Amino acid sequence: MEELNWWEKEIKSSLYNELKFMIPEILFLRGVWLENRQVWKVSFPFHFGLYMLLATLVLLFVGAVAMIFGAKITAGGSTLSLLIYYLTILVGFIGLTLGTVGGTGLIYRRVSDPALKNYSSFADYFNLAFLFLFFVSGLLTWLFHDHAFDGARAYIYSLLTFGGQPEGYTSSRSFLGEGTIVLASLVMAYIPMTHMSHMFMKYFLYHFVRWEDKPNFKGSRIEAMILKNLGFKPTWAAGHIGADGEKTWVDIATSGPTRNK
Amino acid sequence: MRGNFIKPSAISKPSKRLGHIQANELPPLPPPYEDLNNLTLSGLKDEKIANIEASLDDTVAIGIPRPKNKEEEEKYIRAFLSGLRKLFEKKNNWGFLQPLLLSMEYCAKCQTCSDACPVFEMSGRQEIYRPTFRSEVFRRLYKKYIKPGGKLTSKLTGDIDLNWTTVARLAELAYRCTLCRRCASVCPIGVDNALITHEIRKLFSQEMGIAPKEIHEKGTLQHLRVGSTTGMNPVAVKDSMDFIQEEMEEITGYKLEIPWDKEGADILLLHNAGEVLAWPENVGAFAIIFQAAGISWTFSSEELGYDVVNYGLWYDDVQMARVAIKHAEIAKKLKVKKMIIGECGHAHKALAVIADRVLTGDLNIPRESGFVILDEIVSSGKIKFDPSRNNFPVTLHDPCNVVRAMGIVEPQRRILRKIAPQFREMTPHGVDNYCCGGGSGFAIMSGFNFAEWRTLVSSRKKFLQILDAFKGEPQDVPKYVCAPCSNCKGAIRDILEYYHAKERSHIYYGGLVELIVNAMVDMKKPMIKFDEESF
Repeated sequence: MEELNWWEKEIKSSLYNELKFMIPEILFLRGVWLENRQVWKVSFPFHFGLYMLLATLVLLFVGAVAMIFGAKITAGGSTLSLLIYYLTILVGFIGLTLGTVGGTGLIYRRVSDPALKNYSSFADYFNLAFLFLFFVSGLLTWLFHDHAFDGARAYIYSLLTFGGQPEGYTSSRSFLGEGTIVLASLVMAYIPMTHMSHMFMKYFLYHFVRWEDKPNFKGSRIEAMILKNLGFKPTWAAGHIGADGEKTWVDIATSGPTRNK
Repeated sequence: MRGNFIKPSAISKPSKRLGHIQANELPPLPPPYEDLNNLTLSGLKDEKIANIEASLDDTVAIGIPRPKNKEEEEKYIRAFLSGLRKLFEKKNNWGFLQPLLLSMEYCAKCQTCSDACPVFEMSGRQEIYRPTFRSEVFRRLYKKYIKPGGKLTSKLTGDIDLNWTTVARLAELAYRCTLCRRCASVCPIGVDNALITHEIRKLFSQEMGIAPKEIHEKGTLQHLRVGSTTGMNPVAVKDSMDFIQEEMEEITGYKLEIPWDKEGADILLLHNAGEVLAWPENVGAFAIIFQAAGISWTFSSEELGYDVVNYGLWYDDVQMARVAIKHAEIAKKLKVKKMIIGECGHAHKALAVIADRVLTGDLNIPRESGFVILDEIVSSGKIKFDPSRNNFPVTLHDPCNVVRAMGIVEPQRRILRKIAPQFREMTPHGVDNYCCGGGSGFAIMSGFNFAEWRTLVSSRKKFLQILDAFKGEPQDVPKYVCAPCSNCKGAIRDILEYYHAKERSHIYYGGLVELIVNAMVDMKKPMIKFDEESF
């Protein structure tokens, strides 16, 4: 709209610019870094920890699939096996540690800062505590039972093979390990039901609200949608609207106000 | 009750006042304004507020009559709940339902928005003005009364009592935000607290018929009835324009012809009619520039055709659509190629952006910002300029609706760089600008002591920015705040007067076109005369 006769110009969009903005925004919480540094200090490790654990899940899945095809994911395997093995440990450990640190910080901030505390409900604390518990449980499992994520990979393997067990793997079930698996499953099921899905909904908020600027041209799909919506029959009750449940938006918008109030 | 750190649930607890402005809590003004740091709001007179709701803070924007009995209270609450439901129904709110739902569901309450809000900051961080306070109250009501099982889960998600006090305070609170959307622009998730405020205003207007009289009765209703929110009918506006034409010739020595109702002209130029009354030189300057550039253009003398304001943008979708459709019908009748919007920020957004989702078929006539064509004219070389005529400090105010909402940032700057040698930016500027404090209707709202609240609180940040832009300039040098928006000009005029900035710092204000005409070589006499009334 900065150009003369903008409607005659080609609408330019750039995937490169979008990625240049969105990647630092999603991975590093660029906006929070710029606008709210205190919260970023705890929010970034928490979110990055979650991303790292998602990456760990992918690595565990890849490792389990490789094992199905006969590969051995151990410290002494092929180059690819070695890569998956050590990468899983590194990424998983960092994820659990960052998540635990960030979760602790977020809970502390929410409890200690009145600006956050006064707006927090039981559900907000529960959501944070739930994720924090998962991080802590995972970290303790790693520390005491599953340094190389072999148990976690064996669990994915068994899921993919309907109960199978990797060759040479001796099951060492632990309360912590099983608890972490249960918590991880619950977290994955629970997040979409809460505002925590903002990690994914951000796409819609940015693309369909913040950045949405497609103009309505004659004969366009947008115009067709508008025409459809203008056919709705509103029921707003204020006198000046003049809605009666029968008149459409077109009828109402093309007539004058009926009463002052 | 002390205003700091109260919880959203406090809105439902009856008390004399929920928030309170105190002079010693407001961010201080620099020299030579320190003596004005003790200014505070004049108290509301008991007899004036005896029968209206005034328990939110120290001012009143609407003045809702207090219910006489329990039955009336219940009626208000039932109407509120009915409107709340309608906001979340597609047939009643198809235009804004998607962003509203997203903003309802995904706020992480991180408070990043709070530091971006000039009203919150300049009030001394009064909790009720925090962007999330209003939103959280509304969100809790939505979750409790609209979401399935909400009454059961509200104890977990944040409960709030819905009573007369809640309803009345929420209505008032919707008019303590200028809808500048600075909060939305910094939200890491994309939640839009200003949109929530806008939707609350809509609920009250469209369902309950509650809105400030300046924007409803004297605003959109008068606009649709008479032709202008100023009350001017077509005869009056043509008379005024004849006067403007004569005065412009007198001031500049330039022979001016103002075209009316010229069918088939390329451009229909639409002004905020407030300019005709309050800043006629702006209307005259536009006409001079268009004539000098040889543009094919016209004014319309049809009702509404000479007043591009659209107050519906701030509070009522139906009124917004009615006004926008009238504007488009007039353009269609005149067979113009495009509509050009003069220096009026909210009209830019209403006609160019929001009406884009209303106007279809032959009514979808292209709309363009006046800044763009002015930039084209100034850059084209059609008019000769002598920038030395504007050799005084100039700073630019960015109207939120044009800059942040529409992304029109550069055209007005290119013009100033060419014609104003001492142009300097405010900090921050562009899409990060601060509102003038008069947005969303505040500039025209003056009932009770509201205008005082505006100059003291919501416009305070702009005043500090203006002072900062001219920091280091000698006191006696005249300085010009270029505010290319009628609402912004009104708010800036009021803060300059309130803080005696003309006397103390020689700060003046005006539009963009006045600077352009002032620099035109063809003008025999200067248009801008500091210390003199132009008209």
